[in-house]
Amino acid sequence: MKNKLKYLIKESLDKKIKTKWFKLANLIVFILIVGLVNIDKIINFFGGDFDSKTNIVVVSDEKIYDDFQNIFTSQSIVLSDSDNYTIAYKKDLDEEKEKLNDKEKTVIINIEQSNDEFLKSQIISYDDINNYTKELIILSLNQLKNEYVALYSGLNEEQIKAISNPINPSFVLTNPKKENQNNSDEIKTMVIMILILPSFFLITLLTQMIGSEINEEKSTKSMEIIISNVPPKIHFLAKIIASTLFVVLQGILIILYALLAIIIRSIITKATINIDSLQIKDLVSILIQSGLLNNLLTALPFIIILFLFSFLAYAIVCGVLASMTTSIEDFQQLQMPLMIILVFGYYLSMIAVGFEGSFFIKITAFIPLLSFLIAPTMFILNQMTLWELGLSSLIMVIFTMIIFKYGLRIYKEGILNYSSTKLWKKLFHSLKK
Amino acid sequence: MLKVENISKAYNTVLAVDNLSFEVNDGEIFGLLGINGAGKTTTFRMIIGLLDMDSGKITLDGQKIDYNITDKIGFLTEERSLLTKLTIKQQAMLYGKLKSMNEKDILQKLDYWLERFSISEYKNRKIKELSKGNQQKVQFIVSIIHEPKLLILDEPFTGLDPINVKLFMEVIEELKQKGCSIIFSSHQLEHVELFCEKLVILVKGKTVLKGNLKEIKHDYQKKNILVKGKIKEKEIENLPGVLSIKKVNDEYLIKIKEEKYIKDVFKVVKQSDDITKFLVEDASLNEIFLDKVGEAYEK
Repeated sequence: MKNKLKYLIKESLDKKIKTKWFKLANLIVFILIVGLVNIDKIINFFGGDFDSKTNIVVVSDEKIYDDFQNIFTSQSIVLSDSDNYTIAYKKDLDEEKEKLNDKEKTVIINIEQSNDEFLKSQIISYDDINNYTKELIILSLNQLKNEYVALYSGLNEEQIKAISNPINPSFVLTNPKKENQNNSDEIKTMVIMILILPSFFLITLLTQMIGSEINEEKSTKSMEIIISNVPPKIHFLAKIIASTLFVVLQGILIILYALLAIIIRSIITKATINIDSLQIKDLVSILIQSGLLNNLLTALPFIIILFLFSFLAYAIVCGVLASMTTSIEDFQQLQMPLMIILVFGYYLSMIAVGFEGSFFIKITAFIPLLSFLIAPTMFILNQMTLWELGLSSLIMVIFTMIIFKYGLRIYKEGILNYSSTKLWKKLFHSLKK
Repeated sequence: MLKVENISKAYNTVLAVDNLSFEVNDGEIFGLLGINGAGKTTTFRMIIGLLDMDSGKITLDGQKIDYNITDKIGFLTEERSLLTKLTIKQQAMLYGKLKSMNEKDILQKLDYWLERFSISEYKNRKIKELSKGNQQKVQFIVSIIHEPKLLILDEPFTGLDPINVKLFMEVIEELKQKGCSIIFSSHQLEHVELFCEKLVILVKGKTVLKGNLKEIKHDYQKKNILVKGKIKEKEIENLPGVLSIKKVNDEYLIKIKEEKYIKDVFKVVKQSDDITKFLVEDASLNEIFLDKVGEAYEK
């Protein structure tokens, strides 16, 4: 019987993998991932209005222009956007106004001294200015005004400089476990996204795969031939294992595509400017310095168990649901609540970042079918200990074994049932057998 | 030898099979007949172990049927039990492997049967691309590819033209000669008449007729008389024991209640001087079936 199980797993896996559609779908996924990782490069390659520089023309006296230019340039450098602007000094406002047209992005900033308000300004452009540029100009004008106010108050240059400098607080944590974890929130969010998003996608794929396969065998009555040769338990196991292996394989392929996409990005970037490759190195060093990598490696066995058994549990539930239905349409309707549970888990894992210490979210991290999305997130956010993650994995393993035991009873009854009359009664009856 | 002893199966309060017993010897073809819903499919499912029976016993060569001996059984279902997205080769490989065959044997046997059924060129075609008749051939091939000891054929001639029906019959006869026990179910009773040595007729799960086909036909009281020539229709119709008389083409078909009324009919027929045919026949299986099933329903 072991040989038959092995053959059924292989046959089911071959049916999914050895098709031109699998190859085509993976080619498309690879292209999309490369595209997503390099989306900024693609957007820049095709260009657009965002690509052209905005000319800032300041009409004022020379002293005001010099001060404004210093402030504007430093603000745009802080916001890593200095390349998008040119700034120039002009005397004649009317002449500059006449030059405005729809081909060039030019913004005239007319700045005058005022007795009432220190400074008055008018911003003139041919078309709408984007919000980002607008905010940058207003921020620079306000800072210029503050400096002038400070100057008139009798403060010396050093005092004015000190006042103008933004506060840059340093964050110190006294928790010894967290002393090296500053500036790692963005990285944590990124790691969570990398873990959760593909898993969500893979589970969706898994449910469809197992459902359609069982439905096909059932509706063509080939199920009768198969089940007359192998026990339902072997058949059920083969379907679950093959589907889980398929999504694990697909998951590994997605990781490979992502790595390839990063390599492609590095090659493209090296050919232009060598900035992004440094950023990737920075990300890795932050991962190491923050201790996140070490934590993830320690928790990896639990995370793998949690994911693997969650895949198995979803496959079991879907297999049972598929055995109860007689068409793929019925199965799709019946699996909808399961999909809602999946979306619920995904949503909770996403909002867990904003609800630190939430008791409710922590409880859900132990609930099977949700835990694989929430528990790793909570662990990465330091809201769950390694021990708790282990407990969550253990609950998942026990849950999977229980639903296999009882699910198999329903499966045995369901796969040879072609009528929906008294379906629930039959299934509850089979649970008691 | 397949031995079915007093098996019963009920779905809730409905008795699908009631105390059914029969035996199929090696190299024997057995007919399991009945109208739709008579309990045939339930019986087949119990034989191959898909359904648990409520009571009774089924053995093949003295062994209880379980997953250790299902490799010896071939089953052709009434509906097409083929995975239509697979090619013929993939389908044969799947069912062959499930019968514990090795790949080499499967391919060898497949080539032989495809050649025999003249569909070799479709070996790598998807089943859904084949005609109904060719799909039925594939279904038949995959049910016999492992040379079963017991073969269950549920409506095997569905979708076949007369030439292919003849080909199927030849193959079934060959399997019989090799010692395979065959259970056969068909609504086309002329096929059953040609094939089966023994049969059971089921009505609502109950056995209404059982035994050797020749004996059944012989023991059946009603007879048919075929007469060719001018006869006194009215006079014959009024004779005691005559059930009906009707003209079929250029012959008269006279149905009588019992064998003893033949001489009375003959007396009237011989009064005519142009009689070229007077033939007494047993009733056809179709008539016996309709009679027995009708009686059972009336009860």
